[in-house]
Amino acid sequence: MVNLLLAAATLLCVLGCAWLALAMDVHWKQVRTDQPSESTAKVLRLLGSLSLFASLVLCLFTDHASMASLVWVMLLAAATLIVAFTFSWRPRLFSVLIFWAKAAS
Amino acid sequence: MFQNFRLSMAWLHTWFGLVLGFVLMAVFFFGALSVFDREIDRWAIPESRFEPQPMPSFDTLLKPVFEGMQPSKESIDFARDKVNGPMPERFDTIVTWGAYTTHRDPVLTIFAGYEVPNAKEPDVTVWGNRTIDPRTGVAFPDDQLKIGSGFFYPLHYSLHFHWANLGYWIVGFASLVMLAALVSGVVMHRKIFRELFTFRPKKSTQRSTLDLHNLTGVVALPFHFFFAFTGLVIFAGIYFPVSHTQMKPLHDQHEVIEAQETGLPHDRAGVPAPIASVDAMVVEAQRRWAERGMGGDVGFLTLRHVGDTNGYVSIYRAGTDRIALTGQGIHFKASTGEVLREDLPPTAVESINEFLTGLHLQHFRHWMLRWLYVLGGLAGCVCIATGFIFFVEKRKRQYAKEGSQNGRIVDALAVTTVTGMLLATLGILIANRLLPASLPFGWPGRGDLEEYFFWGTWVVAMAHAFLRSAPVVQGEINPAWREQCLALAVLAPVTVILNWVTTGDHLLKTLGEGYWPVAGLDLSILVGGVLALIAARHLRRREQGAPVQGATDFAGAGVQHG
Repeated sequence: MVNLLLAAATLLCVLGCAWLALAMDVHWKQVRTDQPSESTAKVLRLLGSLSLFASLVLCLFTDHASMASLVWVMLLAAATLIVAFTFSWRPRLFSVLIFWAKAAS
Repeated sequence: MFQNFRLSMAWLHTWFGLVLGFVLMAVFFFGALSVFDREIDRWAIPESRFEPQPMPSFDTLLKPVFEGMQPSKESIDFARDKVNGPMPERFDTIVTWGAYTTHRDPVLTIFAGYEVPNAKEPDVTVWGNRTIDPRTGVAFPDDQLKIGSGFFYPLHYSLHFHWANLGYWIVGFASLVMLAALVSGVVMHRKIFRELFTFRPKKSTQRSTLDLHNLTGVVALPFHFFFAFTGLVIFAGIYFPVSHTQMKPLHDQHEVIEAQETGLPHDRAGVPAPIASVDAMVVEAQRRWAERGMGGDVGFLTLRHVGDTNGYVSIYRAGTDRIALTGQGIHFKASTGEVLREDLPPTAVESINEFLTGLHLQHFRHWMLRWLYVLGGLAGCVCIATGFIFFVEKRKRQYAKEGSQNGRIVDALAVTTVTGMLLATLGILIANRLLPASLPFGWPGRGDLEEYFFWGTWVVAMAHAFLRSAPVVQGEINPAWREQCLALAVLAPVTVILNWVTTGDHLLKTLGEGYWPVAGLDLSILVGGVLALIAARHLRRREQGAPVQGATDFAGAGVQHG
């Protein structure tokens, strides 16, 4: 159960970082040829922040608060690296995260 | 001196980072290995490859072992000039006995301190240490080196440079510089958030190296900052030794008053007394912890003034579910077993201190956080290594034009501290598996020889890096990078095979049994070897003048070796 919760926290952390990155023009363009609309970027930022927050909640649910905060901060580091390297070598993998999103007209 | 703040920060970052980066590289890498120091010990001492054990019974097992102990020869020699007259044959007045274990220790480390008659200062103590099998009480040979906790870990904070404690001071200064480098790095960076997720391996070497430097520096910024800072907090007593210099009388008086307040005797009474059942005290301590909703094992057990009516027993809980280390001490009168004192809950300041030191020393039970710490440490290594490469890369044209040797020296030192350090690490593991169990009379101890192999390998790697560094003067790559990566790619599987041949523990077996201390290290070494091979191939392509893609990978590949 604990492992499952931590795995979920990790996944949410990666998703959160990826959405926050996709809200930036430069990373969006690595995934799609168009540009995100203002509102899409806002939604992405919101999704990203919510995921990161949910990840923190899961960490707090699993461990004593002193430990959970460390786990979450270190997870953020790991997730950022994963997202950055994915953008370097396999950016198209992230297209599933914005399949629903409309481009700017 | 400089036109603006940013330029002065850049100067600070570049030059302090360059000089102390070589130290920080070792501190980060061996710190990352120290996260799994107990596991590396298992690899290095095959007789200790069994499951972690709880604190054994004091009454039946530990007491006879303690009674058979005496101070070590080194400790007696060390104290010799602090005593008037000759040293006694036997030491009978026991200041303290202690046993310490964690949830990762199959073996138990115990120590005993003895009063020295005729000492010039009253608190001169000589010490004896032993590592025992907690199931039987049998001691492990003294000359076996615990490569993880006894070599890599002290290397992390002292560089094994003990003369005048200089190693501690160098590491302390390097941590301070690390903090300054982080702050100045943030000032120089400008685009922390805009380029947070940016690594462009296909751009020029200089650009992609800087990307990787920024990326690894920024993502692990809280980690880098807190570890440099808490490292300084842990050794504050060494860096500001006021309690043993200017304020020694105050410190000593404080100890006496503290003893009065807590009811734990500061000195012996001089009246002999037997020891009651310590096992019963352990049961009582665990009952009291359980009442506070903190069930758990004993982490640290210590007796003071052994055999005296003032003697007392302190039992501390193993802090496996908290960041703080052992705590919740409960103290008993040794002769009767009555509770003298329960430690009060820590004050706010104590809690913060415990959190900061515990965060760095990590005795908790949380495997994912351990691996995340390794990741943080290795990210630090990549950050420093890419810093070196960027330094040379940025200046190589200018150096080539001037015919300067500066780039050559920096580059050779970078090879030494990146791939050379990894070779030395494999060197000590290989020596550990190849040296015979018993050495001929007159030879140094087995553990000492292993350490010589470590330093010897490193010196050879350094010589190789300098000898091959000529192309750097023309702005080309030092072939030592590739050659040492190849050496790593060969030696990594050799290390794992040697473990198999000498102990029978091959990966299929350790993985099948789920014995992760050995399987994990073997796997990490193999992964490191594969990454070194990939790096060597990239470097070859680049030396042959192909596009520079992947030129930065070698730093990453190199340091991920563990």
